[in-house]
Amino acid sequence: MSNLTIPSGRKLRIAAFLAVMGPGVIAGLSDDDPAGITTYSQLGAKYGYRMLWVLVVSTFALIVFQDLGARIGVVTRQGLIGLVRQKYGARAGSFSAVALILANVGTMTAEFAGVAAAGQLFGISRYVTVPLTGFLISALVLRGTFKKAERVFFVLSAVFISYVIAGFMAHPHWGAAVHGMVVPSMPFTRDAVNIATATLGTTLAPWGLAFIQSYAVDKRLTRADLKLLRADVWVGSALTGIIGFFVIVTCAATLNHEHITNITDASQAARALQPLAGTLAKDIFAIGIIGAALLAASILPLSTAYSVGDLTGSPAALDDKFEEAPLFYLTFAAITVVAGGLIMIPGVSLIWILISSQVLNAILLLPLLAYMFGIARDKKLMGEFVAGRRSLTLYGLIIAIVAICVLAQFWFIFNL
Amino acid sequence: MKRPPVASINTVAKRLVGRSDLLISRKSVRDSLVSLAGLIGRPVFGPDGREIGRLVDVVVRHGEETYPPVSGLIVKIANSKSFINGARISVLTPSSITLSSAKINLETFSRRPGESLLDADVLDHQIVDVDGLRVVRTSDLYLAPFNKEIRVVGVDISFMSFLRRLFPGSISRRPTPEHVLDWASVASLTDSTGVVRTSATRSALSQLRPADLADLIEDLAGREQGALIEMLDPALAADVLEEMEDDELEGLLRGLTAESSAKLLSHMEPDESAEVLRDLEEEHRESILGAMEVGTAKQLRELVSFDEELAGGIMTTHILIVKSTDTVATALQLLVENRERESSDGVVVVDSKGKLLDHIQTVELIGAVPSSRVSELMAKPFPVAVTIQTPINEVVEEFSNNRGSSIIVIDEKNKPIGRILADDLVDALSQNRNRFTQGGVTRS
Repeated sequence: MSNLTIPSGRKLRIAAFLAVMGPGVIAGLSDDDPAGITTYSQLGAKYGYRMLWVLVVSTFALIVFQDLGARIGVVTRQGLIGLVRQKYGARAGSFSAVALILANVGTMTAEFAGVAAAGQLFGISRYVTVPLTGFLISALVLRGTFKKAERVFFVLSAVFISYVIAGFMAHPHWGAAVHGMVVPSMPFTRDAVNIATATLGTTLAPWGLAFIQSYAVDKRLTRADLKLLRADVWVGSALTGIIGFFVIVTCAATLNHEHITNITDASQAARALQPLAGTLAKDIFAIGIIGAALLAASILPLSTAYSVGDLTGSPAALDDKFEEAPLFYLTFAAITVVAGGLIMIPGVSLIWILISSQVLNAILLLPLLAYMFGIARDKKLMGEFVAGRRSLTLYGLIIAIVAICVLAQFWFIFNL
Repeated sequence: MKRPPVASINTVAKRLVGRSDLLISRKSVRDSLVSLAGLIGRPVFGPDGREIGRLVDVVVRHGEETYPPVSGLIVKIANSKSFINGARISVLTPSSITLSSAKINLETFSRRPGESLLDADVLDHQIVDVDGLRVVRTSDLYLAPFNKEIRVVGVDISFMSFLRRLFPGSISRRPTPEHVLDWASVASLTDSTGVVRTSATRSALSQLRPADLADLIEDLAGREQGALIEMLDPALAADVLEEMEDDELEGLLRGLTAESSAKLLSHMEPDESAEVLRDLEEEHRESILGAMEVGTAKQLRELVSFDEELAGGIMTTHILIVKSTDTVATALQLLVENRERESSDGVVVVDSKGKLLDHIQTVELIGAVPSSRVSELMAKPFPVAVTIQTPINEVVEEFSNNRGSSIIVIDEKNKPIGRILADDLVDALSQNRNRFTQGGVTRS
């Protein structure tokens, strides 16, 4: 049966697509967006190798929940927000949508902050770069030319792989790094809790969870594709962790070593790349930040708009006209305008926005993770893919860790 | 999301607008609508006005009636859920229910086949809006007394009604009939026992074109897909499957039992089902073939084994064969018996050994004397034939040289075993082109 050796159209298409980038890899690399790089840099600069274990836990949580999201999407063929509405009712559905929208506005603001910070490295004002970015992204996405642009952003953001090389060239203390990965310790200070929470929030981002699920629904992936999709999710999540690891290690070996323990602007963060790039460090850092910011910023409003459509029960897509899907386009516009507007407020600290948005992410993760937990154990929805006791324990453990971080965060905010 | 073609929406709309039997268009019904979403959690009173408990859910019974009647209530009484028979409802208002007797025998609810829970199974779930040809989520359901029972009469799918439910108090209970679809014009597909079947949704669905139904199915979630397809008459379902994208169809079949898949595929044209089967994993394919009638399975196995690049892989084995000694009446009879099939535009004539002689069009047969023999109609041009092993591009050449609408496929003994129709060829060619461009190689 020679015909069986010819791959069918679908398999070939997905294989070819995944070879370039699958949704898991997109989500993974977009996690290493300006907010991610800044948070990881700050963690390495402030605490050296000591808190690497936070990244290990976060990456593990990312793998577990992205995998669950992929499974829920393929099995139920519904987006996360729509499912929450179906299972928990109108108020819960709206609540989860609001949580997701807030988190996404925060992250979108961080993407703009990244572009603004990168622009400032070249002496360009944020009042130029931010509106320009907003227009560029909207034009690319809404005019449908964004598939090609996406690849360009993807390549640009891959510049961050240079952290891997820079990490080796900075001659880090590998023993201390391994120790920091496996032995959890941290000072119980407001600052340390803040950066640990931000690390969790930037790695296991709410938008990534909604994105992977709606991707599976929108691309109509079936159970036959699940293996490939899961492989992609694992690779993407691991990639996030690996790049994050090298960012932290590089910053620990350079910035922390040179006693720069508080990053206040992008040029300081860029100095971590000096062992590799010397005087070009700034440029490489800026290119990477811009690429990653544009990649994430072009997916974020789209993914949010999709989730809102999911809530109202009328899934929309880019080939719909405005009259057919007003809510879709309004959400898209609102996210972009609000996030851009926040960055334009005079005197706003970009580094503060970059890190605080990720703390917000962690807080808003809690309800979303809890809903996913509930869906995972619902036999009616998940059928044979329903989560067993062991998986549920794992999900519960991760949710507890996020909850502890958030509680500690609140404790410091209201007591000190 | 795919949109159905505009023309078809208009056709359906024309058919359905002005349907005067819709309950929701009666004023008496519109004035007595009760919002289900608003009613959940409200008090249930006894005849003396004392509160017995709070409403948890409403159970309806689906049957042959268009508007399903309420068969019971699930009420939370002192921290346990009890079932109360629907016949005991005496007053239904938007904010409460009053029962005709205070007697409570704390029945625990167990769902009977054909029943569904409106809050747990239908509200906020996906339904098919048959008139609008789309998949939507239920924002609210409306109950109203009609024909001696309280029934579900309408579905609200609007965003405004969804927002209304977020508010506390009486705002959340106010019905908004301007956004209501009649229950007869939607297909609700979920209940935990399987399918909610109502005669109304079945007949509404069967009015749609197979291509529109295929689009709807592609928009539904996994479990609902299977529910909808099983609701259709097998012959229509087979037509719908033929309209679906290959990937979608594979996904759909994976969600069905081998028996249902076998039933559906047997109703499809053999070449189309062979094409579907060819793409399935071997184990899955065998389980479906195993559930089929032996003859059909054998025929399909053979078709599946043919190479897609050769004539055998794209032909349909459904051909009507008559002997040259048969009468015209016999041939016509055969055509009438097979009028549903797409290959019924003529008959293939063979000699006593079964070898190919000619292909005679239906028109020619109609014009002939019924008692005459088929052989008398045989004349030039004799049909073009290819073998199973003929590559597709040669088949194309034969087609363009002869300008016919079909080509006959013969085996090595010159016996006809199948036909290739022009549309099969178009399918095969467009698939090939996709395959090559997707692989990054363009064939010029």
